[in-house]
Amino acid sequence: MGETLDIMERIRESNKSVTTGLDEKDIKHWVTIYIMGKAYRVPADLTLMQAIEFAGYRFIRGAGCRAGFCGACATVYRKEGDYKLRTAMACQTRVEDGMYLVQIPFAPAEKPSYDISKEEASLSVVFKYFPEIARCVSCNTCTKACPQDLEVMDCVQAILRGDFKFAAENSFECIQCGLCAMRCPAEIVHYHLFQLVRRIHGKYNLPPEPNLKKRIEEIKEGKYNEEFERILKLSLEELKEMYRKREIKLD
Amino acid sequence: MIKIPYYPGCTLKTTAKNFETSAIESAKILGVELIELPKWNCCGTVFSMTTDDLMHHLAPIRNLIRVQEMNEKGIVKNEYRVVTLCTMCFNTLKRSNLFVKQDPERLKKINSLMDEEKDYQGNVKVLHFLEILKELGFEQIRKKVKKPLQNLKVVPYYGCLMVRPEDVGIDKPENPTILKELFEALGAEVVDIPFKTRCCGSYQTVNRKELVAELVFDILNQVRMEGGECVGLSCPLCAFNLDNRQDEVKKLHPEFSMVPVFYFTQLMAVAFGLNEKICGFELNHINPKPLLEKKGLLNV
Amino acid sequence: MSELKFIEGYPEYMYKLIEIVHETRTARMKEPPKAMTLEEREEVLKIHPDYAPGGKREIKVGPNKGEIAPNEVVDLLEAYPVIDPDEIDLEKVDYEPDVLIIGGGLAGTTAALWANNMGVPVENILLTTKLRHGDSNSIMAQGGTQAADRPEDSPVIHFLDTIGGGHFANKFDVVRALVEDAPYIIQWLTELGAMFDRDENGNFVELAGGGASRRRMHAAGDYTGLEELRVIRDEFRNRKIPCLEFYPAIELLTDVEGRVVGAVLWNMETGEYKIVKAKVTILATGGFGRLHIRGFPTTNHYGATCDGVVIAYRAGAKLRDMDTAQYHPTGAAYPQQIIGLLLTEKLRGAGAQVVNIDGEAFVYPLEPRDVEAAAIIRECYIRNKGVTTPTGIRGVWLDTPMIDLIHGEGTIKKSFPGMVRMYKRFGIDITKNPVLVFPTLHYQNGGVETDPNGRTNLEGLLVAGEVSGGVHGKNRLMGNSTLDCLVFGRRAGITAAEYVKKGVTVGKPTLNHVKKYIKQLEEAGITTKRKSPILLPDYRGKAVLARMIDIF
Repeated sequence: MGETLDIMERIRESNKSVTTGLDEKDIKHWVTIYIMGKAYRVPADLTLMQAIEFAGYRFIRGAGCRAGFCGACATVYRKEGDYKLRTAMACQTRVEDGMYLVQIPFAPAEKPSYDISKEEASLSVVFKYFPEIARCVSCNTCTKACPQDLEVMDCVQAILRGDFKFAAENSFECIQCGLCAMRCPAEIVHYHLFQLVRRIHGKYNLPPEPNLKKRIEEIKEGKYNEEFERILKLSLEELKEMYRKREIKLD
Repeated sequence: MIKIPYYPGCTLKTTAKNFETSAIESAKILGVELIELPKWNCCGTVFSMTTDDLMHHLAPIRNLIRVQEMNEKGIVKNEYRVVTLCTMCFNTLKRSNLFVKQDPERLKKINSLMDEEKDYQGNVKVLHFLEILKELGFEQIRKKVKKPLQNLKVVPYYGCLMVRPEDVGIDKPENPTILKELFEALGAEVVDIPFKTRCCGSYQTVNRKELVAELVFDILNQVRMEGGECVGLSCPLCAFNLDNRQDEVKKLHPEFSMVPVFYFTQLMAVAFGLNEKICGFELNHINPKPLLEKKGLLNV
Repeated sequence: MSELKFIEGYPEYMYKLIEIVHETRTARMKEPPKAMTLEEREEVLKIHPDYAPGGKREIKVGPNKGEIAPNEVVDLLEAYPVIDPDEIDLEKVDYEPDVLIIGGGLAGTTAALWANNMGVPVENILLTTKLRHGDSNSIMAQGGTQAADRPEDSPVIHFLDTIGGGHFANKFDVVRALVEDAPYIIQWLTELGAMFDRDENGNFVELAGGGASRRRMHAAGDYTGLEELRVIRDEFRNRKIPCLEFYPAIELLTDVEGRVVGAVLWNMETGEYKIVKAKVTILATGGFGRLHIRGFPTTNHYGATCDGVVIAYRAGAKLRDMDTAQYHPTGAAYPQQIIGLLLTEKLRGAGAQVVNIDGEAFVYPLEPRDVEAAAIIRECYIRNKGVTTPTGIRGVWLDTPMIDLIHGEGTIKKSFPGMVRMYKRFGIDITKNPVLVFPTLHYQNGGVETDPNGRTNLEGLLVAGEVSGGVHGKNRLMGNSTLDCLVFGRRAGITAAEYVKKGVTVGKPTLNHVKKYIKQLEEAGITTKRKSPILLPDYRGKAVLARMIDIF
C-alpha cells in the first residue's frame, strides 16, 4: 500500500515539468527568445509554446491540441542574423537562441458554401467556388510556408490539371493552419480549396464498400435482434463466461 | 497663358536640371506654363519596366530543374533535352531558359530566389517536337507511313510563337518549311500560304472574339482560295482560334465554308495507320472525319 | 554539467540501450508474449493509478454524494461557481435558439448537423465552443472508428468486446445502440466525402485495437479524428449554422421546474457574458485530461478541463463511472518536448511490441488499455526494468521498426505519417529506432449518465461524446470514442429535433440550482477558494507567477 502510494508520488514528481508551470531552479540551460520584440530568457529544452508560457503568457488564442494536429499555434519567426522568414507550429518546435517570433492564430478567409451531394467531380466545380486558383504563378511560397512540409504548390497545380487524386492524397495531412493562405501572392486559400477537393475525391472517386452496405441492411432488418435479446437476458457470470470464451480472429 | 500639367521625372531634378530650367523658361516665352504635378513618383522605368523581372521566370525555370532531377534519379541518362508540343509552352520555356543563361548574375539570382530547389545549372535544352522529328530525319518518317495522306491538301500553319523571336524559333521566321517537309513525308499534298505565320489573335479570343474571327477569316479564306482542304498546326490556342472560332467567322461571313483543323501529330497518327481512337477527333471542333473518310484515310 | 552527446536523436546512453532492442527483435518476433488471464489482469491492475489508493475521495455534495471520484475531479465539484448568481442579469436574453449545443468537437458538430437534418432550421441552432470550432480531443484522435462491417464480424461481437473492456459496467442498451449504429455512421461519413484508408481493391483497411476480437477499426492514416472532424465541420460551415467561438458555458440555466433551459456563456477574450435561452441543450464538452489526475501528463487538448461535468452536476445531473480515468499505455516519454503526447494503439495493432530495458517483450501488446498501462508502470517502478531519460522520466520501449518488418517497408510512413512527422521534428526516425513510452492520462470513461438517445436525468439536457457516462463502463476500447461521439452526437441531434417538433414550453431561466448548490457546499462544511469550471490549465512559469500583479 505504502509502496504504491510512493510510486504514484514519484511519477507525479517526475512529470512536474509538463503538468505545472516550470520552476527556475530546475533549469540548467537557458536561451533568449524575442516574443513580439520583447526579449525573454527561457529554458533551452522547451517547445516555443512551453517557453512562451514560461515567460508568463497565458494562451487564449494560439493553443489547441498542443500536439501538432490542429493548426492553432501557427508561428512566424526569424533567426538572428538571417533574413529568411520561417514558419513553425509552436507546440512542436524547440526554442533556439535568438528566435524572433510572432503568432498568427487566425487567417481571414472566404469559405464558399456548397452542397457536395449536388456537385459532380469535375474541375469546373472547383473553379466555380475558387476561381482565383488560376492565378497561381508557381512561386512555391505556400510550400515554403507549410509547417507540415507538404507539397502545397504541387497540389494546387494538380488540381488545375484535374488530378484530384494527387491533390487529395498529398494534402491529406493539412492541419489548416492558414500560413500558406496568408503568404500567397495570388491570395488563394489553399486549405479550403483542398478540403473541397478531398471531399469530392472521397465521395465520388473512392468505390462504395459492399460489406458496409450489406451490414447496414442486415441491422435494419433486425438480423441481430434475437441474439441481442438472448444476451441481454444472461446473468453477469454467464456474460463474463461468454466474453472469456469468445473467439479472437485477428488475421 | 496655356497652363498644362508637367511631369518632370527624377533625372530632370538632378543631373539634367538644366534640361528642365531651359524648357520651363522657353515655354513661358511661347505662352505655355508648365505646372509641375503637385505629387509625383518615379515613372518606374528602372525597377518596374526593367526586363530583369526574375520572379516571373520562376515558373518556367522550375520545370527545367525537374529535367535535371529526372537525370539525377536515373529516369533518363544524360538527357538534358526536354520536348514540348504546345508552341506557347515551348516558346515560354525556351525564352526563359535563354534569358537566365545569357547572364550568370541572373542565373545566380534566380537560383537564390528558388532556394528550396537544387540550383539550375543552365544546361537544359528546350526543344519542340518538330525539332526531334527533323533530327530523326523526314526520310525515316516516310518509311513508317502505312497510309500515305494521298490527295489530302494540307496547309501548314505556324502562327507566331513557333518561329518568333528569331533566337527562339525553330525555323526561318519569314518562310518556315518544317511542317511542309513533315506533311510531304506523310504523303500529303502541301499547299503553302503566305499567311502561314500570321497571328491567329491569341488571347484576344477571350474578350474580343470578333477581332479574332476577322484574323481567322483572313487566314482560312486564303486556305480556301489556294485550294487547301485542311490545316495542320501545333498550338492549342491557335487550334482554338482557327477551329472553334469558325462559328464566329460564319456569323460574320455567311459564305465562308468550314475548314477542318488538325494537330500535326493527328495527321502523323493517321498516316502511321494508328487506330482512330488515338486521334481523339471528338475534341476537334469542326469534325474532320467526313474529310478523311472521303479520302479513304479513316483508320477504325 | 557535461553536455550530452546525441546519436539519431537519443543521448548516447539511451542509444546503446536501443541496440539491445535491435538484438532481441528476431527472437521476440518468433515467440510473442501471451495474453493475460482475467486473474493476472486483476493482479496487475493494483498498480494502476485508478486502483492504487490515495488518488480518490468521496464526493460530499450533489446527486452522486457518497461516491468516489479522482481528487482533481472532486476538487472541481466541491468548488464555488465563478459567477455570483445575484450579479447575473437574466432578463436580457441574448440568444434564443431551439437547440443549444455546448462544445464544438466531433459530438457537438454531428449533433448540429443531425438536428438540422431532422428539420430544425439552421437559424434555430446555436453551437458554442470554448476555443475554436474543432479544437477538441476529437481532432487529435489517431487510430480509428470501430464498426462491425466485415462478414466474420457482427454488432453482437462488437458489443461483447465493448462490455468486456468496460469491466461489464457499461449500460447495455446504450452499448447496443453504439454498435448497431456504427456501420451506418461510417457510411454517412463516406457519403460526406471522408477518405478512410482503402486497399488496392477498394476495401476498407481495418486493424484491431486492444481488447477487440475482430479487425474493425476504420482509419484515415493516423489522422482519423482530424479527417472526420474536418469533413463534418466543412459541412457545418456550408450550411452556415450559427457558431460562437471562444465562448465557453460557465453555468447552465434552469427553470423553476428544474428543467435545463440554456446556459450562461462567457467571452474568453472580452470577459462579457451572454444569456442563451434554449428549448433543449446538448452537452458535448469533452474530457478532463488537463486536470493532470495523479500528476500524469496527458494526451488531451488545451481545453479539456471537465467543464461540462461541473456545470451539469450543479444543475442536478447524475454522473456515472466518474471514478475511473483511462490512462493510455503509450504516451511519449522522450524527448522532453512531447511528453505525454499520444502514440496510437494502432502501432501495437500493427505489430509493435512493448519492450523493457533488457529487451524482453514483457506484456502482450494488445491487452485492454488499463491492463496494458498498469503492466508498464509495474515494469518501470516495481520491477525497475524501465529506461530513465535525462530528465528523470521512466519509460519502456515501443519497438516501432517491427511494423515495417511485418507488413513491408514503407508501412510506417504510409499508415502513421503523423507519428513519423512528430518524431522527425526532434531528430528521431521511428522507422529505424524504437521510441520510449509511459502511460499518460487519456480519457474520461464516465461522465453525465446517458440513455440510448442521449437523454440525461434532467429534462432539457442531452449529452454526447466523452462527457457522457455509461457507454464505455470502466474502461474504453480503442476506436469506440470517435464512434461514441458520432453515434450519440447523431442521436442527441435527432432527439433534440424531436423535442422541438413536439413543442416544448421553456420556463424563465434562473440560477436557482447554483444558489442551491452553494448552500449545499456550505452545509457540507466545504470552505475553499477553489472556483470551477476552470476553463484552462495554467502553465505559466512559477517565477513569473510569483511576481505577477493583476492590474486590469
